[in-house]
Amino acid sequence: MSEALQRRRRSLLLSLPAIVVVAVVTQAPILFTFGLSLVRWIVVRPDLGITFIGLDNYADIFMSRDFYEVVLNTALVTVMSLAACTLLGILFSLMLNRDFPGVNVVRTLIISPFFVMDAVAGIIWRAIILDSSFGWNGYFASLFRTKPLDFFGVHSLLTIVVLIVWQWTPFFVLIILAGFQNIPPEVMDSARVDGTGWFKELVFIRIPVIMNHIEVAVLLGLIFVLKVFGLIFVTTRGGPGYSSANLPYYVYKTAFLGWQVGRGAAVAVVTVIITLLAITALFRWFRRRIGRPA
Amino acid sequence: MTGKMRRPGRILGIVLIWIVAILWCFPLLYMLITSFKGEADVLPPSLWIAHPTLDNYASVLRYQIIHIILNSAVISVASVFACLVLGVPVTYALVFGRLRNSDNLFFWFLSTTLLPPVAVIVPVFLMFRVSGLLDTIGGMILIYTGVNIPIVIWMTRSFLLDVPQEILESSSIDGSSRLRSFFGIILPLARQGIISTGLLVFIFVWNEFFFSINLTYVNAATVPVYMASFMTQQGLFWAKLCAISTLVVLPPVVLGWLAQRSLVKGLTMGAVKG
Repeated sequence: MSEALQRRRRSLLLSLPAIVVVAVVTQAPILFTFGLSLVRWIVVRPDLGITFIGLDNYADIFMSRDFYEVVLNTALVTVMSLAACTLLGILFSLMLNRDFPGVNVVRTLIISPFFVMDAVAGIIWRAIILDSSFGWNGYFASLFRTKPLDFFGVHSLLTIVVLIVWQWTPFFVLIILAGFQNIPPEVMDSARVDGTGWFKELVFIRIPVIMNHIEVAVLLGLIFVLKVFGLIFVTTRGGPGYSSANLPYYVYKTAFLGWQVGRGAAVAVVTVIITLLAITALFRWFRRRIGRPA
Repeated sequence: MTGKMRRPGRILGIVLIWIVAILWCFPLLYMLITSFKGEADVLPPSLWIAHPTLDNYASVLRYQIIHIILNSAVISVASVFACLVLGVPVTYALVFGRLRNSDNLFFWFLSTTLLPPVAVIVPVFLMFRVSGLLDTIGGMILIYTGVNIPIVIWMTRSFLLDVPQEILESSSIDGSSRLRSFFGIILPLARQGIISTGLLVFIFVWNEFFFSINLTYVNAATVPVYMASFMTQQGLFWAKLCAISTLVVLPPVVLGWLAQRSLVKGLTMGAVKG
């Protein structure tokens, strides 16, 4: 056997166990999910059995008003959180990109929420911060003699956005700060010689230079924000109604709370398609922007 | 830029930065403060601890929480180990091996990280029920290994790419085997990156909520599941809630601080310099 072939076989052998595990846990189930989306299977109605109904589940979904509300929520949450994360990420990175007493402590304080589990982030915010009677929300309302904001009623979608921004801005800071720190000193020097003002210099020189970093942060942020589930589960449970549910939570509610397995699977398939479309679209857009001459 | 600023302006700026940072971290800081308060002193909210106490910590550690923390620890450590043992060889094969479709394989692994867990949960649930893996430590290790192997490959690729090819070539001229060059040269050079990858996977698994809430009940329940049910099970004991929250948040936060610098490079796949 030739040396090259032997090496190829050895490389494949090294990769095989991981391929098998990943395929068993992610690829096989997704094909199965697609299959399930074509059947009617309501666990709590065993008398109906499991019957093949073709695309009826999809038709049901596209006819239901809940679905559009949830898609709109998902889009709103994603756009608002990513925009806020980007802005705050730039702002905090500017703050941290200088030398002052305690810069490492400040950095640590800002980064920490990223590593806090959804379950704890959710209940801590829900209880001690946003609770309208006993949390700081209620405290400030009584201090200023106003009505506390209802974070779990009319503003429930905003609550989800706030929590995502709180957790994910640190991630943007990590990446964008690295960008600022890598700007070659010559770039800054030449701007200084030109006598460019601080804000102009930021918008026209520094941000364009680190655009690559911002794009990577937004792209990875998108991947994670589209999967958000735990934060919603422990704070608003998607409610009231579906007003703060996103697509993952909708799948969960349909399949595990409504026990409509087939229909849940169909929503899951639609979620996957929307996720892939969104990520591809954003990726393409970034590529094109880079391809354009500056 | 700061040099040009007048001194009072600079001090004001620094104070402002500190205030912003403390406000950002306020939910965590206040959680820490509350965890030392007596249950009677929790309301109304106040920054002052009138009667500092460690009772909350002592009392929460008596519940079934120790069992659950152990579950989480075992599942996280075992998953990190399995992910690295299975994942790093793939990265090695992708970077140094002679795979015909190495780019396709890499993107296949990456694409699995794009999928929302909801897309696989129903079949995984059924699969686990049939095979008796539901609510078992082994089942959770399997699912977390499968989900995080792609993360390991994604992260470690840029670290292995940094290993200079010349060093490897000179070592193979010396006649040392590939196995030895892997353990003797590549691993030590990429150590920092691989450790950070392990830390990140630990954080992800320790914090993971969706699979755990759907696939465990009592036996293999993990910390996030316990936390989510705390208020319904234990009632409104906020000081205790804060104490237990502080305990379970501490490991990932500390590990996160340690790993943060390499995270940037690894997660961005070297697309940006860390």
